[in-house]
Amino acid sequence: MMNEISRKRGNTLLLQGNEAIARGALEAGVHFSAGYPGNPSSEIVETLAKASKDLPLYVEWSTNEKVALEAATAASFSGCRAIASMKQNGVNVASDFLTNLTLSGTKGGIVLVSCDDPGGISSTNEEDARVFAQISDIPLLEPATPQEALDMTRWAFELSEHIQNIVMIRSVSRLSHTRSTVKTGEIFENPGIPYYDVNGPPFNTFPILLKHRKRHEKLAQAMALFEQSPFNRYDGPDAPQLLIIASGCCWNYASEAVDILGLEDQVGILKLGTIWPLPQGLLKNFLKRAERILFVEDVEPFVEDGVMSFAARLGEEIGIKTWLGKGSGHMPDTGETSPRLLLETLAGLFDLDPPTGSEVVAGPARSELQQNIPPREFGFCPGCPHRASFNAIKTALAWDNREGFVSGDIGCYSMGMWPTGFNQVKSVHAMGSGVGLASGYGKLEKFGFDQPVITVVGDSTFFHASIPALINASFNRADLFLVILDNSATAMTGFQPHPGTGKTAMGEETMIVEMEDLCSSLGAEVQIADPYEMSRTAQTIYDLLQKRGQRVLILRRKCALVQEREEGGFPFHMEVQQEKCLGEACGCGRYCARIFRCPGIFFNKEKGKAEIDQVICVGCGVCSEICPQKAIEKTPKGVHDVA
Amino acid sequence: MKSVNPKGQKTLIEDVLDQGICVKCGACVGLCPYFSYRDGQVVALDACAAETWRCLQVCPRADYEGTSLEREIKDTRGDREIGPYSEIRAARAKDRKTRNGGQYGGIVSALLIRALEKGFIKSAVVTDSGNGLSPSGKLVRSPSEILECAGSRYSASGCLAALNTAISAGEDHIGVVGLPCQMEALAKTAGSTPDGEERIRRVTVRIGLFCTWALDYRKLRTYLKEKNIRGPVKKYDIPPPPSEVFRLLTDDGWSDFPLGEIRFLVQKGCSLCSDMTAEWADISVGTLEGQDDWNTVVVRTERGAEFFHEAVHAGFVEAEELPGKNLDHLEEAAANKRARAGAARQERTDQRT
Repeated sequence: MMNEISRKRGNTLLLQGNEAIARGALEAGVHFSAGYPGNPSSEIVETLAKASKDLPLYVEWSTNEKVALEAATAASFSGCRAIASMKQNGVNVASDFLTNLTLSGTKGGIVLVSCDDPGGISSTNEEDARVFAQISDIPLLEPATPQEALDMTRWAFELSEHIQNIVMIRSVSRLSHTRSTVKTGEIFENPGIPYYDVNGPPFNTFPILLKHRKRHEKLAQAMALFEQSPFNRYDGPDAPQLLIIASGCCWNYASEAVDILGLEDQVGILKLGTIWPLPQGLLKNFLKRAERILFVEDVEPFVEDGVMSFAARLGEEIGIKTWLGKGSGHMPDTGETSPRLLLETLAGLFDLDPPTGSEVVAGPARSELQQNIPPREFGFCPGCPHRASFNAIKTALAWDNREGFVSGDIGCYSMGMWPTGFNQVKSVHAMGSGVGLASGYGKLEKFGFDQPVITVVGDSTFFHASIPALINASFNRADLFLVILDNSATAMTGFQPHPGTGKTAMGEETMIVEMEDLCSSLGAEVQIADPYEMSRTAQTIYDLLQKRGQRVLILRRKCALVQEREEGGFPFHMEVQQEKCLGEACGCGRYCARIFRCPGIFFNKEKGKAEIDQVICVGCGVCSEICPQKAIEKTPKGVHDVA
Repeated sequence: MKSVNPKGQKTLIEDVLDQGICVKCGACVGLCPYFSYRDGQVVALDACAAETWRCLQVCPRADYEGTSLEREIKDTRGDREIGPYSEIRAARAKDRKTRNGGQYGGIVSALLIRALEKGFIKSAVVTDSGNGLSPSGKLVRSPSEILECAGSRYSASGCLAALNTAISAGEDHIGVVGLPCQMEALAKTAGSTPDGEERIRRVTVRIGLFCTWALDYRKLRTYLKEKNIRGPVKKYDIPPPPSEVFRLLTDDGWSDFPLGEIRFLVQKGCSLCSDMTAEWADISVGTLEGQDDWNTVVVRTERGAEFFHEAVHAGFVEAEELPGKNLDHLEEAAANKRARAGAARQERTDQRT
């Protein structure tokens, strides 16, 4: 059956923001889609991958975001339409290419989508990727609703071809993952055949100053179009007491707050969809109308600073203003904007009592939840191989007794910095950075550094950006001990395939890039172990800690969720033998529940003994190793399932 | 490792492990999941929160005073520099093979083998050769296993960890061979709560070894690596004065190292030890100066006397009078160690205050 997203005719669909972006690309006749998984962006590639079963379209998960943008650009250079999508950190990775590409310009329409994560809910940072549009001199659109996400994406390809440069779209988690009804248009099956014009001007950045100037001219062309854009809209009185300039999703919050407070006659909202370059003519008109301006946007004061910067040049033309926003402290300068924040700010500005309407319901609900739902910490799933891996790492580092530590990286295993990973991970930054750091620690010995360092990456992170750092260690003869937690999936972002899985984004079989062969070829000593065998793995890690040079240990075990999905679960039934568990009298201090911390184990305070929570336990069997009384027993599952 | 329990593990970590004065006896290891002995080190793996804590009570280096240490030695000829004893002899294994495998007279091996054969003990906790790794404790059940482990290591072995594991596994009638610190740890175990008495009841005989100091195994390994010693060490020896050498046997034969260099590898915690002759043992065994294939045997308890005399009567062990000169030398050496320890302890106290 054809996927709903691939239906040629327009319709009204319930679409997530990211699906709407994908549909917009399909309606623009996109040929090529590339990206690297990362919340909240992943569904764009996933949706297009589904559509690729019905439509002539190529979709890939690339090894990293820079490669994704480069691969997509090849399609553009050949006259095709292409889209590259990623999360905010991904734009950092792609930015080296981006800031050069924007000098050379592009041919076929190409769109870069950044899905930012305000509040850093599923990221290692909070970052506003819009600044890349500014430093690259490219147009930036910011949709407020899924409908706009579709419309803007479709138009962004035309804009890109019009100015011959890449166009950026910025979404945020709230929009990417919001669902609403969207009126779709018709899918355009682009008949274009890719052709690279070898006789045309080359795509390069030289002469640099000329190209830089050209880039500014393209931006001016975009600004001219933005002045008339339907993506910018004003609602409110002709001369509002307060003008809200709202971008993206925040427009919804502002509208809601004004509506709830009944400020329609006092407050006007200028909804900005074209964020860079700012439509200065349009803004000038509205700035004249109000003395107080409030900026509402997610993460950085990007629009705020941009507007204030050119307003300074307008001077007397617009008169003296009171600028309110992140800079004035009226909006928080970190975290996600929300309707409640807007309500509070507006109530404050208009001397109104903060509305209690929603609190009447939300307040009691919140306290009810706080009483009845125990607080949950970040934790590895039951059966997760990472728990076993970090237990082995912890043991080996303790045995080694030289204050060794883990230089961590990005993935589920970042949680190794918390109790679920025995607090082993001592630093986490960008993809692959843990390995680069480790290559540096590996050269500190000449100054007397004697602490062993284990750098830990997942399989997908390994392919993404760890390999250059490993080469760096080999090249510079740094002592480096890399542990690859190979769980056969890009688990944290939703099990997307990667070069080690043998499948592509479109579901095609492909070669498996063998990380062991790769590392061996770089001169590293490579070993493979099963993290579930914790004691043996701890000894292996310990032995490798005593060695020098580049060492790679691959801890290979499928992600527990993949195991459930592919193999139908785990083989064991786990039980705490109640007569063997000594409870508080043991002297173990509830080791299984308190230290090992698998959610499948709990300490029954009434009985004073540990128990397995049979609803949560998946039956991996790992905990049978940890009890000093050998009270945790594993038996084959079938025996118990018969009844 | 930071512990959440201020009384037990935390004190032990702060006062002993972090101070670097742990002597790696292994007494705190194997009682719970929190301590581990590996490759010559005792380490804490996780923070303990248990209300019941034994680790601190049994540690020979902790200043914990809650453990009652009771001498069970009734019939003594005196309480002198070498501790209370009922009898002191020169002795050696009758069997030449046992003597050759062991250190000097092979008395420890002979006593254990005899006790096993008679069924006095069912197993023994001894120290293995490490096979290129650090020596560590091993539960043995046969004469051949005992002979495989014979010989001094001059390094701490954490062998009481193996005893704790054996007791937890339900073993009884166990013979234990260990250094003075380990004999003291057993005495502290006997007086510890909540189950020390019950645990120590499983130990039938405690054979202590004379000890001036023990080496930090990892320092020794690094030292030997620098000296290009490859392959497992089969035997260690420090010949009596005035040789001033540390000798070891590998596949390449014997190598000698100046004792002055070796002393830098001694465990820091050994400097605080005042016991040279394992005063808390049932029987203590050491070298006999001037007699390569004999041992000095100090019989201390009734149990010790029982074992020793049975082995002598059975013709397993031959015993002779200890020459007075040897006893004098032994007492002098023991007194020196006691004095050095006293000074070292005083120095630590002064530093703290």
